[in-house]
Amino acid sequence: MSDNTEGPHYTESSAGLMEYSAESAMPFGPVHPSLKEPEYFKLILEGEKIVQVMPRIGYVHRGIERAAQDRTWVKNVYLVERICGICSFSHSLGYTQGVENLTPFEIPRRARYLRTVVHELERIHSHLLWLGLIGHWAGFDTLFMWIWKDREHSLDLLEAITGNRVNKSYSTIGGVRKDLPDGMAERLKTEAGFIEKRLDYYEDLMGGEETFTIRTRGMGRINQEVTRRLSTVGPLLRCTGIPRDIRVEDPYAAYDEVVPEVMTSNDGDVASLITIRLKEARDSCRMIKEAVDKMPSGDFKINIPRAIPAGESMFHVEAPRGELFYYVKSAGGSTPERVKIRTSTMANILTGVEMLKGHTLADVPVVLTGMDPCFGCMDRIAVLEVDKGKEWSIGGEALRKYGIDYYSKRRGGK
Amino acid sequence: MAGFRTGLTAWARKRSIWVFHVNAASCNGCDIEILAALTPRYDAERLGVELVPSPRHADVLLVTGTMNPLMKDRLKTVYEQMPEPRLVVAIGACALGGGVMRDCYNAGHGIDTVIPVDLYIPGCPPNPEGIIYGILKLVTGIPDKPEEAQQVVS
Amino acid sequence: MSVESMQTIADETGGTVTTSKKAIVLNVSREKVPEACAKVAAMPGFYHLSTITALDLGEQIAVLYHFWQGKVFAVVKTLVPKSDARIPSITPAVPAAVFYEAEVKDLMGVFFDGNPYMKGRFVLPDEYPADAPAPLRKEADPAKIRKMLKLE
Repeated sequence: MSDNTEGPHYTESSAGLMEYSAESAMPFGPVHPSLKEPEYFKLILEGEKIVQVMPRIGYVHRGIERAAQDRTWVKNVYLVERICGICSFSHSLGYTQGVENLTPFEIPRRARYLRTVVHELERIHSHLLWLGLIGHWAGFDTLFMWIWKDREHSLDLLEAITGNRVNKSYSTIGGVRKDLPDGMAERLKTEAGFIEKRLDYYEDLMGGEETFTIRTRGMGRINQEVTRRLSTVGPLLRCTGIPRDIRVEDPYAAYDEVVPEVMTSNDGDVASLITIRLKEARDSCRMIKEAVDKMPSGDFKINIPRAIPAGESMFHVEAPRGELFYYVKSAGGSTPERVKIRTSTMANILTGVEMLKGHTLADVPVVLTGMDPCFGCMDRIAVLEVDKGKEWSIGGEALRKYGIDYYSKRRGGK
Repeated sequence: MAGFRTGLTAWARKRSIWVFHVNAASCNGCDIEILAALTPRYDAERLGVELVPSPRHADVLLVTGTMNPLMKDRLKTVYEQMPEPRLVVAIGACALGGGVMRDCYNAGHGIDTVIPVDLYIPGCPPNPEGIIYGILKLVTGIPDKPEEAQQVVS
Repeated sequence: MSVESMQTIADETGGTVTTSKKAIVLNVSREKVPEACAKVAAMPGFYHLSTITALDLGEQIAVLYHFWQGKVFAVVKTLVPKSDARIPSITPAVPAAVFYEAEVKDLMGVFFDGNPYMKGRFVLPDEYPADAPAPLRKEADPAKIRKMLKLE
């Protein structure tokens, strides 16, 4: 797969990945035996520009798919929602609906609406979290603090409805665990209105702040060719103009009656991702109000027998980051035979690699956060400067400071 | 640990706790509650707590997650880079003893098998208020006798 | 995207079509997998590879390629014997598959000829012994793996 000419050289494989070979023509590959410490990302620089990125994943690999085979169907809800703390309800929703599809039972309409409300609340909290983090990595800490203060409103609602802020365990096999408390419907509408107003304020704030837009406009540009080739999901796909959203294409929960609006953009950069996520959060507020108005009365749960009939089911949900895919296979017993989970970040890592190419080190925090990764933050990055022959590593926060200083020097100030 | 208790340095250290956070194979739930503890609703920064970019500047190490083999060496390196006196806080059920992942094949043991831990904060994830309470209790309430050093906070 | 167009692909690749709630499954032999996947991916409209799943069926391993066609899942399914678990990779035609195939290789031990991530470990730690069974196989025991990785 490599040529035998002098000096470092690259070969491309069809996915755009390269294998860097040194003069001795030894394939470097994704895992080099001499790496003392496995890194999250290895950036290969030529001069100032990143020419290749080699991600090493597996840092959060815990063996959950195997553990799911040892636990009963209901216990797996608690396991599966702890795959990711930020989109934990999407995981439990994908799993429980996937299991319900194996049974001949239909869950009540009220349960569908309640799942929709909590799903959208989670989308709001996740997008606000991300918006704050983008502010933090770009040096706009005021934005980070203010957005996270407003995010607490959505977490208060989640705590009042489900009992916990993060790992909610709200969805169960057969419906949801509990009904809305008294007075919650009115409170949901008031708070959703408040969050909508704050989102309008932040849109003005972010659009007008020059030091912020210079770090996000034109950064991490991708186009439809990249997203089609790499099967990207979520807002990253929609920022290139492709209007695909699982909630609209394949409605689950109550999305056939409370229809989301699909937000797209044609710019394909981090600024357009910010706009799309802001608009999605605002649309979520609208949908919560609509769902509360249209909520049918009735049961919030039905009892499903413990042994799930044999069969296999494929189900996907639109988590805040994109399509979350669940494949569940039952052999008729009280534990699943196979649970396969494909998280949205896994589908987007290669797109993130494409976004980074051509940028300088100072842009890495913002561009990488733009793809909204969900693997324990970018704690460590290894940099390989090809032409200088130097290899060094840098932590996430140090890289953030480097980026802030770089841009403030570029502006001429200090 | 004795360095925290003597006179003016102790007084100053208790009011300016610099923390470094490491995510050792965590689901991010505890991590976002740690960050939420620094934001205006709970505001740990008014107590002097600050998140620093490098372990060499930190007094307290916050660790979340169950630790899988890829993270073990990394965690040890970070701990060794911290200058003394240093304290380690294990946050969340996973860091305590594996939590819900305790019998998974690639994870599920507490971090105290790799580095010495001074404080455990249980929860899945613990509330930001609980995290602040724990850190303060650790820094202000360190006993003189090393045998009483390990505490449990809930 | 319909049963008829899948049937056409089945006739061209010598496979069979079965339908279930929400999925049209095309069963092919492993040599024909790249061709079948390329044809499914080239269908008019939008194609999207959701993921690749592997199932341990005892003597055989089933590998499923899940394509989402906007209304139904189009699944290309093949069976390989456990003793000789190799499939030609579909990455030349469907570059999105590269990570999914690498994950199946790590966790189920199926080798994909032509995928650039077949050397070294992808999601598993490097210390995972090369002679130990892949963790999702039925013969793998999590307690033993924990001892091997010194997680006690």
